[in-house]
Amino acid sequence: MNEPSEHDIHAYVDGRLDGERRDAVELYLARHPERAAEVHGWQRDAQQLRAALAGDAATPVNPALEPAAIRARRRRRTVARLALAASLVLCVGIGGLGGWQMRSWQGASATPPMGDALTAYRLLAMEEGAQPDLVPRRDGDLQAWLDRHFQRRVAMPDLRGAGFRPVGGRLFATEQGAAAMVLYRDAAGHAISFYVRPPGPRRHLLPRGERIDDGLLAQYGSGNGYNYAMVSRAQDNDAQVAARALQPLI
Amino acid sequence: MPVHPLDDALRELLPRLRRFALWLTRDVPSADDLVQATLERALSRWSSRREDASLRSWLFAILYRQFLDGRRRAQRHAWLLGRLRTEEEPQWPSAEREAVAQSMLQAFGRLNAEQRSLLLWVTVEGLSYQEVAQILDVPIGTVMSRLSRARAALRRLGEGETTIPALRVLR
Repeated sequence: MNEPSEHDIHAYVDGRLDGERRDAVELYLARHPERAAEVHGWQRDAQQLRAALAGDAATPVNPALEPAAIRARRRRRTVARLALAASLVLCVGIGGLGGWQMRSWQGASATPPMGDALTAYRLLAMEEGAQPDLVPRRDGDLQAWLDRHFQRRVAMPDLRGAGFRPVGGRLFATEQGAAAMVLYRDAAGHAISFYVRPPGPRRHLLPRGERIDDGLLAQYGSGNGYNYAMVSRAQDNDAQVAARALQPLI
Repeated sequence: MPVHPLDDALRELLPRLRRFALWLTRDVPSADDLVQATLERALSRWSSRREDASLRSWLFAILYRQFLDGRRRAQRHAWLLGRLRTEEEPQWPSAEREAVAQSMLQAFGRLNAEQRSLLLWVTVEGLSYQEVAQILDVPIGTVMSRLSRARAALRRLGEGETTIPALRVLR
């Protein structure tokens, strides 16, 4: 007799085969004990997998995933885009002043500092699937991790007062040596990052400054021989939390 | 706030989406971020949805593509930045670690992302082979042969054979 098709074998394993075709598979397996052992093993695995994963869908509720919340976020973004469009129109309208302003922006963006801090934030805070090197289990885990990688003391900011907890740390390679980023999140899932690296080759230490890039705000400065940046959403509350955290470091 | 009839259907599917995302990303916050991105995309693309696909398989498809895209982008960034990271054992949420069927879950966790997805869709979620073929955008025969490989791999891993997983996440 003919060997059943791969489709029928799987359908048999998954209990989706009826009547003659099911009988045909059973008959075939009865005559081919090796294949039968394999297929019955698949069947057992499938049952075990279902049993093992059955309780698994009961993860704690996350309000950020509520469909109404997602709709509200989309609406807010649309409004923000409209506001940005409106402000650009205004800028063009102002004309001369706008052009002057534009020039100073271009001047500043010729060598925008701390772009790596923004890239690191995007990688770890905004990409699905990007994983930190270290997920803290206890208070102090991340500070100890920083201490291992930097010769001079790098005091990790404490943002708990503002509701942000450290959720992970990751190292990045730069030409000047290891850079580190600690990511914080609040209950709503908003992220703020603390980024530290040795100073770049030409601009040794940075004057205090900030830049906005695609909705993200990087505030930066230098202290104790390192360059620091706090990256957050360019939004009042988060920006203030980040500014306060940067203050004692620079 | 207006109530959308779709929201109830989405809410009901949330646990399944989160479970699937958790087995892809292997960590609760990134799984939830992935689900969130999926829902956002689903809401913005609602009108272009194919009528013949079930809501569930359509959402699974979006989630899976977002995961693959995110992984690709992360790989590009990682390549640009250079990585100091050493591969560690995956961190499983503790609830799974304590599960009764621990060895099954361990074996399952060592499959590659596509094999995990396949088995989850077919054996746990009960999607039809046709739906899986649509999600992966491959012919149904390909689904069958990949399913055979996934099942054989799970069998091997479950029997304690030590094989290196063919493809590791974030590699």
